[in-house]
Amino acid sequence: MTTDALALPRRARRASSASGWLKGFDLAGGHVVMALLSLFCLFPVYWMIVTSLRPANKVFERSLWPTAASLDNYTYALNAIPIGQMLVNTLIVAAIVTVVQLITGLLAAYAFARWRFPFDKLVHVLIALTWLVPLQVVMIPNYLLIANAGLLDSLTALILPHFASALAVLMLLQAMRSFPNEVLEAARMDGAGSWRVLWEVVTPNLRGTIASLAILIFISTWNEYFWPLLLTRTPEHSVIQIGIQMFMTSEGTQWGPLMAASTLASLPIFILYIVLQQQVVSSFMKSGIR
Amino acid sequence: MTHLTLNSLRKAYDGKEVLHGIDAEIENGQFVVIVGPSGCGKSTLLRMIAGLEDITSGMFMIDGELMNDVEPADRGCAMVFQNYALYPHMTVRRNMDYPLKIAGLSKEERRRRVDEAAAILGLEPYLDRRPAHLSGGQRQRVAMGRAIVREPSVFLFDEPLSNLDAKLRVQMRIEIKKLHRRLKATSIFVTHDQVEAMTLADLLIVMNGGRIEQIGTPSVVYHEPASMFVAGFLGSPAMNLLPAEIRDGQLRLTGMPASPLAEVAAGIAEGPVTVGIRPEAILLSGNQSEGLPVTIDLVEELGGSRIAYCALADTALAVVLPTDGRGQEGREVRLLLPAEALHIFETASGVRRDYTLAPVSPATEVRNAAGLRDMVIPV
Ligand SMILES: Nc1ncnc2c1ncn2[C@@H]1O[C@H](COP(=O)(O)OP(=O)(O)OP(=O)(O)O)[C@@H](O)[C@H]1O
Ligand SMILES: [Mg+2]
Repeated sequence: MTTDALALPRRARRASSASGWLKGFDLAGGHVVMALLSLFCLFPVYWMIVTSLRPANKVFERSLWPTAASLDNYTYALNAIPIGQMLVNTLIVAAIVTVVQLITGLLAAYAFARWRFPFDKLVHVLIALTWLVPLQVVMIPNYLLIANAGLLDSLTALILPHFASALAVLMLLQAMRSFPNEVLEAARMDGAGSWRVLWEVVTPNLRGTIASLAILIFISTWNEYFWPLLLTRTPEHSVIQIGIQMFMTSEGTQWGPLMAASTLASLPIFILYIVLQQQVVSSFMKSGIR
Repeated sequence: MTHLTLNSLRKAYDGKEVLHGIDAEIENGQFVVIVGPSGCGKSTLLRMIAGLEDITSGMFMIDGELMNDVEPADRGCAMVFQNYALYPHMTVRRNMDYPLKIAGLSKEERRRRVDEAAAILGLEPYLDRRPAHLSGGQRQRVAMGRAIVREPSVFLFDEPLSNLDAKLRVQMRIEIKKLHRRLKATSIFVTHDQVEAMTLADLLIVMNGGRIEQIGTPSVVYHEPASMFVAGFLGSPAMNLLPAEIRDGQLRLTGMPASPLAEVAAGIAEGPVTVGIRPEAILLSGNQSEGLPVTIDLVEELGGSRIAYCALADTALAVVLPTDGRGQEGREVRLLLPAEALHIFETASGVRRDYTLAPVSPATEVRNAAGLRDMVIPV
């Protein structure tokens, strides 16, 4: 009797501690997997930075840490191409495209969310379909249009085809549809016209969606390569991705300066991500609408 | 002065009519409650008044002016929604200020009105909070504040209390009533809660299936229900509705030929009718010879009162028991249905019939007693 009574809790205790250990393992295991994945993603970035710091004769070194670090590659890269100008160009293009796509996206999504009009479903489907059309298909017609307009080798030409995107319209439409209808009606009762409702009621509550969209659009515009490659003729009117490509010549690739230029090209993206990431997270936390 | 006229208002969604001609006159300063079961079109009617829903046909007028095509903001109506519908990104102050800002009022005037409304509603401590950081009751108050600051001529409420817990609901109900006493603005309040309806209304509109069943003061609607639907809808427990018939100048429950309920005046058409009686109007008979014999199936103790459910023929009859403790589960009792407490409805249409009823005279009762004996003997 007594031994039984004593044994039972001991067994129970062991079982519970085992499950606790398992739980701990689960948690730790999860962290290990995530850490490995992060390493996997971060390593190329790290390698880029490290290589950019290696002197020209040691570019292909395999040590994890540069044996002799120098900024020579950066000096070289900055002198070889107008990196500053290119970064500014890229920034202008990416910023304008982001802002314009958000505005057109908001306007289009609002129209779809609020009004029924003839062929609205058809237009909606057509917009969604443009998402499926690869860029390569429209590249040549777009090129011809731009060439006819005399806009070759200009930043305008880089921006113009990106005035609207299906992604922005569809994501914003989704967000607007889940916005409580009663709030829109309350605004209407309060005397707010559709224009006011869009900018003063709807948009401020879509901050999370807008921030994530902004990151997506900015990065994809920043990284764009083919379209600028097709259009630009002079480095001064070009974007950074073309600049990087200039280190890949017919005589071979200058890896050190290329990595240096790439590192410089990534910096603005890092900064943007850090700034907006907080915004995205906090908006998601706050989106307890109602 | 604000006088609302609803003239055969109809509403159809995609050709399917949900409101079938609503007529009503609402006087200045009245507190009107629209009550009815779910899906009867209360919200639709309110939203048509607000201007949020198009009027398919008919006329809606404020002070004789046609409002059918007037924008919601220009009708002078303010609305309080069931889910509060506050602007999530604005503080309480900005929420209340927003309609005034749109109206283009001066800064001082806006400030004065918001402060005044906040004082009335006890919202001063929360003016800088966002709705997400308020309780349900506080949010509801903000929603009312946003309506008050506009100084509208008509307040519209669509089930504003149904998201609150029972206690808060009672409290807010009283506050709304007080607020109405103070502001004296015409108000239309939609609910499916009959206690809210009875307590708040100056004028009650009972709706069913897209039609108005009855318009009247709560007292009239309660004591003289215009139809079987109204009779069964208001009151808890609901009015008992029993099949009966008029024959030989007497009203008898179907299947109870031995105990006539009342004498009806001559010249009234004979045939089946439905008799209604409120549970609190039924009396327990003091002796064993008088009244309808029934057995009590179940007694519900409500603290203040006790309700018995009895089987009568094949219908259940609710009876509010006297406070003297008479009437226990399983007991046989005799019930008296006083003639003056009976309501008569046409069985088919449900329409009320105001027949003059008189208590059954002692002579007939003797005759009945005899009749009963006659019936018993063969068995
Ligand atoms: N937008 C709509 N499209 C089609 N039918 C609708 C629409 N809105 C309401 N209805 C229909 O109209 C009828 C009345 O709806 P309404 O919302 O007015 O009911 P209610 O009395 O407010 O009910 P509840 O108490 O549940 O709120 C319902 O049968 C409903 O299905
Ligand atoms: Mg409703």
